[in-house]
Amino acid sequence: MVSDVAARPRKPPVGSRTRHRPKRRIWPRVWHFLSFGAPGVLIYVCFVLVPIVVSFGYSLTNYNPFNPPTKFVGLRNYQLMLQDDTFLTSLKITTILTAIVVIVPNVVGLGIAVLLDRNGWLYNALRSVFFTPMVLSSVVISVIWTRMLQDDGPINDVLRAIGVQDPPGWLSDPDIALYSLATVLCWQMLGFCVVIYLAGLSGVPKELLEAASIDGAGPIRRFWQVTWPMLAPALTVNTVVLLISAFKIFDHVQVITQGGPGTGSTATIAFLAIQTAFVDNHQGYASAEAIAMLVVIAVLTTISLGVLRRREVNL
Amino acid sequence: MRTGNLPWLRPLAGLAVGAFFFVPLYLGIINTFKEPDQIRTRPLALPQPFTLRNITTLLSRPDNLYWASVTNSILVTGLSIIVLTILSATLGHYLARTSSLWGRLLMLLLLCGLMIPPQVILAPVTYVLRAVGLMSTLPGLVLFNVGYYVPFGVFVFTGFMRSVPVDLEEAAAIDGATRGQIFWRIVFPLLRPATASVLIFLGVWIWNDFIDPLIILGPSQGTTITTGIFRSVGVWRTDYGTIFSLMFMGTIPVLAFYLFLQKHFVKGLTGGATKG
Repeated sequence: MVSDVAARPRKPPVGSRTRHRPKRRIWPRVWHFLSFGAPGVLIYVCFVLVPIVVSFGYSLTNYNPFNPPTKFVGLRNYQLMLQDDTFLTSLKITTILTAIVVIVPNVVGLGIAVLLDRNGWLYNALRSVFFTPMVLSSVVISVIWTRMLQDDGPINDVLRAIGVQDPPGWLSDPDIALYSLATVLCWQMLGFCVVIYLAGLSGVPKELLEAASIDGAGPIRRFWQVTWPMLAPALTVNTVVLLISAFKIFDHVQVITQGGPGTGSTATIAFLAIQTAFVDNHQGYASAEAIAMLVVIAVLTTISLGVLRRREVNL
Repeated sequence: MRTGNLPWLRPLAGLAVGAFFFVPLYLGIINTFKEPDQIRTRPLALPQPFTLRNITTLLSRPDNLYWASVTNSILVTGLSIIVLTILSATLGHYLARTSSLWGRLLMLLLLCGLMIPPQVILAPVTYVLRAVGLMSTLPGLVLFNVGYYVPFGVFVFTGFMRSVPVDLEEAAAIDGATRGQIFWRIVFPLLRPATASVLIFLGVWIWNDFIDPLIILGPSQGTTITTGIFRSVGVWRTDYGTIFSLMFMGTIPVLAFYLFLQKHFVKGLTGGATKG
């Protein structure tokens, strides 16, 4: 079988190839695309690419399905956005939330992965506990945490029991609610970071650690000089995934706080864009908000990928 | 890295951190089996008495909240992942075996789709679906899922396809097999680990999707498990019995699905990152 393949002339002589190949091979190629590529591409184009273009088009209009006529307004939506306190506040809120969610699960997840990087039933069981939130829906997680954080919830019960007179209103205080929301997302994403770091840790060669040990490096030095540099790819994956999931957080806001308490104290950009589009029906303006969100995500992802990948190469 | 003189420190620390992390999960499980008034007053206590009443009440509701939601979720998730597997495997094969500029451009366009938030496209998608008469229908949601998640499937399949030797396909072609036969009889069976990853990831993601079914199915056309839970929270804010049992019963199917393929799941997730 193999010799058959080897005997088959894969590359015809150069001269004949340039002259005959395009003519002879064009129909099989088109048919190959139509039968294998086209169905998936067609649905992708209809439901992702065209909507993005349409969305960008809307962002240049004052489109509102219940308030015609629709007019072309150029970049005015984007100009308005830069003076719109609601939008700017939501950008600030989303940035704070993203910063917390990129840092905390990364740091804590690394600690837990190092702690659980052993074999045995206990460690396997503990790993399963940390993985579980990955299978749960954000809605389920949000409802459970709402009960945890309510004024009469278990957290405040415990605080009262240990003598705190006036425990904070985790979800009812506009200054705290954002951080409560960040806590929920950190809890949910922690398992993902643990999985990725554990995978990275299992790829660190034992010989390298032993060699360092023989050279007299203590556990802390071994970690920072041998293990940590080898976890660079895991750090890249975690940071980028956390960045994207935190910046487009919607489900938790919708279920836990509905953007409140107060006026928009937890209204992230993703939440604001959906509100503007489907509750206020200002679809032109909502499209501009969504496009701005996409641009910020794309820029942040590109920058962090660039920085973190360079770190990997330096290894 | 040995713990040195304190060998019990590591398991103890692990247990403590794990127990702390487990509290919300414990709360979700334990309250399913509690009388509703106890969920309100003593959320962390063990069920006294242990009761299945929340679940039996949920299953026998006259409005069929659970059975309708779970049927919708199973239909949407099942159809979406089957269609997604077929389309992304064939498209992935096409892209992995084409070296033309057109193929690379297509790949780039698909990869862009990996980070697009649904907010950007949902409003126009509702117009596309309305235009073809599929807005507020299950097939409409399935079509959207296929379009939205096909980049991920292609990403996984092309990556894996590069490790399948081309010689195998060329040999079959010489023996007179058609392109379809070569793919479905020879290549696809070799892609089993990739197929498992795609099925698991997309199955869990689509089952847990919230904003897409909320907008596309709309208020009139039934609910999936996630939108069902959300609506229960809105309508009966204090009916904890219904909410907790619906969350519990709504998680069982996806958890079973996950455990069934867990071996492949962890393998697929860490593929290439581990040494063995």
